[in-house]
Amino acid sequence: MRWRDAIGLAAKGLRRRPGRAVLTILAVALASALLTALLTIAGTAETRVLNELAKGGPLAGIKVAAASPDPGQVDQDDARPGPPKDLDQAALDRIRALADVREVVPIVATRMLVVAPGTEKDGRPRQPYTDDVVGVDITRASMLPVTLVAGQLPEPTSLVEVAVTEGYLQRVGVNKPDAATVLGTQLELASIQGLRVTDDHVVPRGQWAKVEIVGVVAQEAGAGQILAPVEQVNRSLAWTKAGVTDDSSIPVPTSTYSGLFVVAEGIDNVGKVRQEITAVGYATSAPENLLASVQRYLKVVEIVLTSIGAIALVVAALGISNAMLAAVRERTREIGVMKAIGGRDRDIRRIFLVEAGVLGFVGGVLGAITGWLIARAVGGVVNGYLNEQGLASIQLALPVPVLLVTVIGATVLALLAGTLPAMRAARLPARDAVGAV
Amino acid sequence: MSGASISVQGLAHRYGRAAAALTVLDRLDIEVDGGGYVAITGASGAGKSTLLSVLGGLDAPQRGTVVIDENDLHDLSRNGLADYRRDTVGFVFQHFGLLDTLTAAENIELACSLDGMRPRARRSRARELLEAVGLLERRDHRPTALSGGERQRVAIARALANRPRLVLADEPTGNLDDGSTERVIELLESLPADHACTLVLVTHDRRLAARAQQRYELRGGRLHPSTKVTTEHATAIGDPEEPDAVA
Ligand SMILES: Nc1ncnc2c1ncn2[C@@H]1O[C@H](COP(=O)(O)OP(=O)(O)OP(=O)(O)O)[C@@H](O)[C@H]1O
Ligand SMILES: [Mg+2]
Repeated sequence: MRWRDAIGLAAKGLRRRPGRAVLTILAVALASALLTALLTIAGTAETRVLNELAKGGPLAGIKVAAASPDPGQVDQDDARPGPPKDLDQAALDRIRALADVREVVPIVATRMLVVAPGTEKDGRPRQPYTDDVVGVDITRASMLPVTLVAGQLPEPTSLVEVAVTEGYLQRVGVNKPDAATVLGTQLELASIQGLRVTDDHVVPRGQWAKVEIVGVVAQEAGAGQILAPVEQVNRSLAWTKAGVTDDSSIPVPTSTYSGLFVVAEGIDNVGKVRQEITAVGYATSAPENLLASVQRYLKVVEIVLTSIGAIALVVAALGISNAMLAAVRERTREIGVMKAIGGRDRDIRRIFLVEAGVLGFVGGVLGAITGWLIARAVGGVVNGYLNEQGLASIQLALPVPVLLVTVIGATVLALLAGTLPAMRAARLPARDAVGAV
Repeated sequence: MSGASISVQGLAHRYGRAAAALTVLDRLDIEVDGGGYVAITGASGAGKSTLLSVLGGLDAPQRGTVVIDENDLHDLSRNGLADYRRDTVGFVFQHFGLLDTLTAAENIELACSLDGMRPRARRSRARELLEAVGLLERRDHRPTALSGGERQRVAIARALANRPRLVLADEPTGNLDDGSTERVIELLESLPADHACTLVLVTHDRRLAARAQQRYELRGGRLHPSTKVTTEHATAIGDPEEPDAVA
């Protein structure tokens, strides 16, 4: 008997005598579904989560400070910078030209006077305070360690929209869950310019502007509590620099950029790029060690989940063995008849082996499909949570290798499980066909 | 080509070992010419099925010689016996032995596929055989949808799938009513002439046995020519020409 004929026979048997086969297939399908779902989820955690976050900058990102590296600190994630050092266009160009650097986002900052809206608790109008306003190219915010908590980011070209950090919320006495209440309120900001009144007397004067808070963010791009489109900050800097620049009471930055955010070509290159930047002469920090341990944890999780799935599949395979042994016993006479009409031992072995294989294959296919659906459902729940937390959602890719592994694994295990019953069937005496009534 | 000749000498068969051994066949002899029609009767447990299983290569002969045409079954291996069964023998069982998951046609095609026949050849062979047993229009029905007599006719068609030269029927009418019995027996009796095979029929029914050319009763492990068939018995079913003929 040919393999093809054996497969046809097994398929007919399954179709026309579902009963036990359905239960066996369900067990295999369930186990395969579990395996697929776990492998998909683990695989996604491993690659997608890291990449997805890395795309947003924080993980594959390196913060470059306007400071020299401190030689004793280069291996630390959060290296303490050395003495200040100007970070100018030339430095930016050199860093951008380094190998394995995907993107360099400059960060500027300006010190401004800020007046928050409303009144203090005791009813007095709020006093102005100084703070750094951090300016970034909002179109590239997705690459920066900037996460939206409420509202939205300012329009990239807007001169009247800003976002504030949680530090600002604290300052004005708003709890994080109520972050949305500051949206739409107006801040008054003043750029500071030094005006020389006499030879040794400089007074600051402000250029005031009203801006609207459109979003609340968590950001590590710079030190300030206000995040604005880069153009706003540049104008403010220009105003400041137009005045007295050599008086200590006027905060004029000497560095063109307050920092850079460098995105490496993939997480694995973070360490290398950091070293290169250190060589260029600037202090860096990056969550390298954190990253490595996250990867290690994800690996462990993946191994554990895969083992659970694999064990389930082995249990299902034992189910196949059991069902096939029972089938062999039930079909003793049928086997005898097949031998009487000319079946060789190997024909009988093949028929039962193929039947086990078909059970495994069908179960594996059903399970792979179901598992993928389960993984998607889980992904949906996870994304719901991520969105709630203001984080980018995860995209599940159709894990073709995982599906193939599941189907092939289920089939191979089923064939192994079917070996013993098939051998037993093959050895049954043909005589039983005649003797039985 | 005609049916296979049977030559059995000193065949012994026992089940179990030593003290618990049960001798079922004991120095049994039988000679049948190719194309012959033999009926064997005997009490329940006399060893009729055992004899058929040895003749059909389901059991290897333990002692004595069994030669079917030129094949000495003693010399055949396990696979050799399987080949012999497939190429030379057709079995018909009391319980029909059809696979319930297959249709009538597929049951016949299964026998062909064990012989490695191609799908197209199998289908036409199944058609041809179902037509010969008058069940062509039932070809897509599964055994459970057929009557006992119809099932047995399908089983006979299947037994003929590989053009056997020896057909062994073990109580083929044991589960059938009189009408079905008549049709099945007529079909079986036509085999030696129409399909060029030797027919060995085991039956409890002496009236059926009476219609065979050679009649034996299996008793005490040996075959005894049986002659004690009355006209009355023999004519109850069918119309045998020589009811009292001695084999
Ligand atoms: N596998 C076996 N092991 C032990 N004893 C067996 C075996 N097969 C048959 N027998 C015994 O051998 C004897 C002959 O059995 P067999 O089936 O050949 O009888 P039979 O003439 O066909 O009977 P029946 O008319 O009831 O079918 C019986 O006593 C039976 O119990
Ligand atoms: Mg019997």
